[in-house]
Amino acid sequence: MAVVEAPPVPAADADEAAPRARTWTRGLGVAVPAALLALVAGACFLAPLVLPVPSPTGGNILEAGLPTGSPGHLLGTDPNGNDILSRILYGGQTSLIVAVTVNLLGLAVGGTLGALSGYVGGAADTVIMRLLDVLIAFPSLVLTLAVAQSLGPSLTNTILALGFFSVPAFARISRAATLSLREQPFMAAARLCGTKGWRVLLRHIAPNIAPQLTTFGMLGMGVVIVIEGALSFLGLGIPAPAPSWGNMISQGQASLSATPMLVLWPSLILFVTVLAFNLLGESLRTRWSVR
Amino acid sequence: MTAVAAGRHRGVGGRLFASPSVRLVGKRLLMAVPITLGVSILTFWVLNLIPGNAAQQLLGADATPEQIRAMELQLGLDKPAPLRYLDWLGGAVTGDLGRSLVSGQSVAGQLGERLAVTGELVAMAFVVSLLLAVPVALLAAYHPNRFFDRLSMFVSVTGLSVANYVLALVLVLVFAVRFAVFPAIGFVPLSESVGGNLHSLVLPSAAIGIPMFCLYTRFLRGDLVDQMQGQDYVVTAQAKGVGPWQVLLRHAFRNSSFGLITVVGLNLSTLIGATVIIEQIFALPGLGQLMLQAINTRDMAVVQACVVVFAVVAVLANLLTDLLYAVLDPRIRYGSR
Repeated sequence: MAVVEAPPVPAADADEAAPRARTWTRGLGVAVPAALLALVAGACFLAPLVLPVPSPTGGNILEAGLPTGSPGHLLGTDPNGNDILSRILYGGQTSLIVAVTVNLLGLAVGGTLGALSGYVGGAADTVIMRLLDVLIAFPSLVLTLAVAQSLGPSLTNTILALGFFSVPAFARISRAATLSLREQPFMAAARLCGTKGWRVLLRHIAPNIAPQLTTFGMLGMGVVIVIEGALSFLGLGIPAPAPSWGNMISQGQASLSATPMLVLWPSLILFVTVLAFNLLGESLRTRWSVR
Repeated sequence: MTAVAAGRHRGVGGRLFASPSVRLVGKRLLMAVPITLGVSILTFWVLNLIPGNAAQQLLGADATPEQIRAMELQLGLDKPAPLRYLDWLGGAVTGDLGRSLVSGQSVAGQLGERLAVTGELVAMAFVVSLLLAVPVALLAAYHPNRFFDRLSMFVSVTGLSVANYVLALVLVLVFAVRFAVFPAIGFVPLSESVGGNLHSLVLPSAAIGIPMFCLYTRFLRGDLVDQMQGQDYVVTAQAKGVGPWQVLLRHAFRNSSFGLITVVGLNLSTLIGATVIIEQIFALPGLGQLMLQAINTRDMAVVQACVVVFAVVAVLANLLTDLLYAVLDPRIRYGSR
């Protein structure tokens, strides 16, 4: 008897302690990458406004090739005499602007298309999804290259080219999430109340598919930053002399063995940013138990 | 019963068609056709978005309108776009992908060798990453949350966040510049030396394969742990006294492998796309390098052919994973009727 009666007290304690511990760790899983991203974004967008950061272009050729830790140039200068730290910060502005815009574009266009397609069903669904299958079949980098080449290298065109593969990916996720909602009782209730289609989409479907889309968007931010870098690396993204992490790495590649830091500094910040987005996406996925 | 009886009456063809696997193969093949067509139309449309046209770009900015007109006639650019697409398609199905606008060579002839290099690169990266990912994931899932599991998860999350061009340059820096173990650039054809060929592909395929390895490991480990913790069949197997390794290998892994195939299939096009940038970095004479060269010289015929070949290979690879899925999983095979 004593054996049976004794356990409840510690068990109840453990039950209470375990979720608290888990919440604390989970909170950390979101907070750490979010803080890291805030730091990167803050440095890129605010530091040039507040601190005397030198211009990222039009450097003095007499100051070319300074090593890391030179006075006035914390990370040194590139072969054109431009300050590397400044180029990383301004390049980061471009990367983040591109990543946010492309994902918002994917979310707005792809998310809506997917939700509509899944909600309406029937022939419209088949047509939309077959069209998107075509886009998904493309190796994204190849398609982006073709689009970027057709439109010519510029910031807007980079965003458009990347949007080409971001939209179908969001649409696919959004459609799958909507389909799983269709059989839910609250959807039937909404139909029975005579709720209008757009209202169902906005008030019933949108809030329920938001976790999936947000999680996917976080992982998508990392993907877009990497592909934007690849485009700029290949000379089809942000045109030089404007800085971008991708074209900095590309310029540094020429003298990789002599001055590896020209490649390693932008690579490091690219890695940290993408890692932070991936970790944030993973933590949100676990928190909202999204598969 | 009825299907079997009907098959008997329909003769050999009918019986063959009644087989679920054959019907599935047929269905998937039929679906691949419109996707491939769509891909080629999209490519054509995207490449024709440019303001001005190929004639103007070939002749340069200071060409006279007469010269441009003559060049347009020569290239057949005076015809409307849908007609030009049909011309191109007619040639493409008979294996004629047109001539390079720059070199005048047949495009199809140029593609062959290039495709072999890219194919070898992709195959090497794919096979090695998959062969490494499976044992690592199994070991990690055997004791979830122990040291090896944590280590493998740390490595795979890190690896997934490294851009492949950064990885490629870091590999070059370490293995070609610091320790001259592998060549930084260049390609030795298979016909010249098998060892040299493999040696020249180690770094490029590592740059493509390492992120894939990380992706496969992370997925497979996660799925195995899910299977081991929640599934009734695992409990049944454990209850009847099957050993832990046996449960993991024979029961959980068999089920997780279907999910793995889906992940592999979904990422094949990323894998293929990655060759473009990796071939550029390592100066490998593959399809991606040809495409970039053509993009830089504005050689539309070659760009078009390369993009379509990339897309068709991706479609076929997806088709293959779908079919593999059906062959391995009887639930899909019989559920498809």
